[in-house]
Amino acid sequence: MDLQSNLQPELGKLEQIVSQFLLKSLHIILDSRVPSLRPHDRSGDLSLGSQVRKSDKWFNLVLGDRPAALDNLNFWHRNVMDPMIIDVILVHQGSNSPSVALGGSVETVIERWVVQYEYPRVVAAQTGESSAIHKKTYKKSIILLRALYSQMRLLPAYRIFRQLSTSSRTYNFDIIYKVSSFSDPFSRAEEGMMEEYSFPPVEAYPGRLCISVTYRTTLSDFNLEPSTSMTPKIITDYVGSPNTDPLRSFPSSGKGVSATSFPLRGVQAPAPVPLQRPHSWTSGFHRAAFSAQNQPFVGSPPAYYPSPMPYDYPSPPAYYPSSMPYDYPTPPTDIHGNRVQHYRVPTHQKAIGYDDYQLSPPFSPSPSPSSPSYISNAYPMQTRVRSETAPVSIPLPMTSRNFRYLSPNSSDPNRSSLPPLSPRSRKTDPSSQESPSGITYFRKIESLRSGEMQPVTANHYTGQKVTRDSKDDSGRFSGLLSSSGSPRIGFSRSSSRLSFQDELDDIDFTYPFDVDDVDTSDFHASQNLEGKKASEFTSQSLPIGRKSQDAAVGELVRMLRTAPPLRQDPSCYSSHSMKTELEGGVATASGFFMPRKTVDALEELRSFREMKELLLSKSGRVISKEEA
Amino acid sequence: MNCEVCQLKDLEVEHFEIREVLRCILHTIVFHRALGLVRPKDVDLELFDVTYVQCGDVELEKKIDEKIEHFISWVEKHPNKKSQICLSFYEVKNKQPYWFTNKIERLYWEQWYINLNVAQHPKAHSSKSHNSKVVVDPGEEERIARRAAVEASLREVLFQIIKFVNEKKDHVPPIPNGDGVVYFPHEITIPRKFLSSS
Repeated sequence: MDLQSNLQPELGKLEQIVSQFLLKSLHIILDSRVPSLRPHDRSGDLSLGSQVRKSDKWFNLVLGDRPAALDNLNFWHRNVMDPMIIDVILVHQGSNSPSVALGGSVETVIERWVVQYEYPRVVAAQTGESSAIHKKTYKKSIILLRALYSQMRLLPAYRIFRQLSTSSRTYNFDIIYKVSSFSDPFSRAEEGMMEEYSFPPVEAYPGRLCISVTYRTTLSDFNLEPSTSMTPKIITDYVGSPNTDPLRSFPSSGKGVSATSFPLRGVQAPAPVPLQRPHSWTSGFHRAAFSAQNQPFVGSPPAYYPSPMPYDYPSPPAYYPSSMPYDYPTPPTDIHGNRVQHYRVPTHQKAIGYDDYQLSPPFSPSPSPSSPSYISNAYPMQTRVRSETAPVSIPLPMTSRNFRYLSPNSSDPNRSSLPPLSPRSRKTDPSSQESPSGITYFRKIESLRSGEMQPVTANHYTGQKVTRDSKDDSGRFSGLLSSSGSPRIGFSRSSSRLSFQDELDDIDFTYPFDVDDVDTSDFHASQNLEGKKASEFTSQSLPIGRKSQDAAVGELVRMLRTAPPLRQDPSCYSSHSMKTELEGGVATASGFFMPRKTVDALEELRSFREMKELLLSKSGRVISKEEA
Repeated sequence: MNCEVCQLKDLEVEHFEIREVLRCILHTIVFHRALGLVRPKDVDLELFDVTYVQCGDVELEKKIDEKIEHFISWVEKHPNKKSQICLSFYEVKNKQPYWFTNKIERLYWEQWYINLNVAQHPKAHSSKSHNSKVVVDPGEEERIARRAAVEASLREVLFQIIKFVNEKKDHVPPIPNGDGVVYFPHEITIPRKFLSSS
């Protein structure tokens, strides 16, 4: 008993080293392979001066904030003896299906990392002082993890990871991962395409720490390329409301919307845990273009839900007696009872001889000091996600590449699909983050207009004018023309065209395509102006429902252009050539912006035409692109 | 304590590639030997599709760059030669201090020899002038092939480094104390045999 009691502190230390080693290696691997898990862009400019979490100092390798997925490890990987198998999975198009279609995705394991603490059947006699042994183990683990970090950058999969994570383009593939304590062996064909590399193990008496990888030697077999769907195009003449809601939804079309890899946001409910796989979780979220059924959604919910864990422990090996300061129930059975019986974190621990290794934290009673904080961090993230994410089926990261992405939204006509706010306006408008604000504003307009004009059946927003925030000079309007199944047209104006905006500041112009998020104060101020125009709208209600969307837009444009000018400027767009060009459905209200150069307007027209073409191509029609 | 020596694979490089290649190799070695607290920094090479890891320490970067410049100037003075640069790690041992002698002995515990064969320039130029009419310059293809070969060799060298640092770990001394990034004392030199042969 005395021997065992002497062993306990040492074993506790070893257990801490091993579990932190597993955690660190998982962090390194996921950080270097799964773009969606990267909490921030680690440009490498961060100096050590900035505060480093204690938990991040393990093995003297500061990696930055851990993804919440790693918090699960503490809960999951109770048993340090179990191997931790990390599958890096490439989600890509099947070779047979040339186009991206739902259900056409294929998942291939391109790398399989196995990190484990190998415990020998026969424990050799300990030679030397255990603290010295642990020191050596720790030092060698540092080197091994450095090597792992470097190796991650030399293997073929790193290249595609970099493509996904750094490029602003969208691709037709994604990388997800799966962590498990066991794995299905590779087929012979797969094995033939893979090579294995094992790092020399680190002695960690009584066992040793091993890392090995089986990886695909080449990824050129896969058709990995930028997504062929409509590329997001910056509309230089976009004019939108300053209080516009961010674009919420990018519903998938048949062509595959955008090949972004979703961050792990726990939007979907977890699949039930199959009993035969108690120790695994995966990142199953990827683009809508891929079938949901193909997700290797085994086991736990996405890792961003640190708790509660729906795991069942049917018969896990028990290495931790109930005095464990972990926050999950003690496993009932003890499989390896004859082996390590006292893998218990000691209640009192001192960093014996490890201070010179800058082991921070030193071996402490609490297992992972930062895990509670990570959990708490994850929650605000979740709530933040929820408040930001519109109720759409496909949440997208709010990245710039999704900005101004035009796509038909057939799911909800009331949902405003608007470009994100400009930074300034985002700050000033507290309601901008909420999607319902646009809708409520809309309904307000509707109620106001109910007496003035006939309700438009299919085209909700048509004919309604939204006051432009005259105070805003951020230069963003949102033009919406939506109904079920109809495309949205966004007009954008870059900030470089602010001078144009300034001229309009004193005009209470109501832009018919504006949908929402205009300050109510401005709205009220422009009532009289709207009242003027109301008659025109009522007399010329748009033909909707029967005619095509383009025709509706064209009608609207005609209406606007025939409206009395706000300023007397004969050089407005009244030329027939312009009109005919606009017949195709490109809407513009440029005529109202006066004075204005013809060149500007022509440029705007061009951009509108491009928009139209993009929309048409989106809807599957073949159009000839006039410009690249 | 024995001194482990690692002779890295020969690399055929052009003059303008020396800087990047050496930076990559030296930083990789130091990264695996700087066992103090480190925030790794990924650096992409411009000439090759290779990413290596630095320790993220500005001082170290400066020091390495200085040595590389020194090496390049040496190579310029001695063209057409096999060049070698040596990165050595040592421990500082104070011999018993006497009144007049305060010997500080360096005990080298690891040495890395980076072997470079710096190719000549004229080849590239001549191919250009001869094939000026040809649309696809065969010299260009050759360059591309050469570049790919160098990249592959560089990767092999990096793998070699990783393998070596992992296989030989027993000789690494205890990590010295200190704040921030801590390195084992090291020096970068051009071996004497090369210096004297000029």
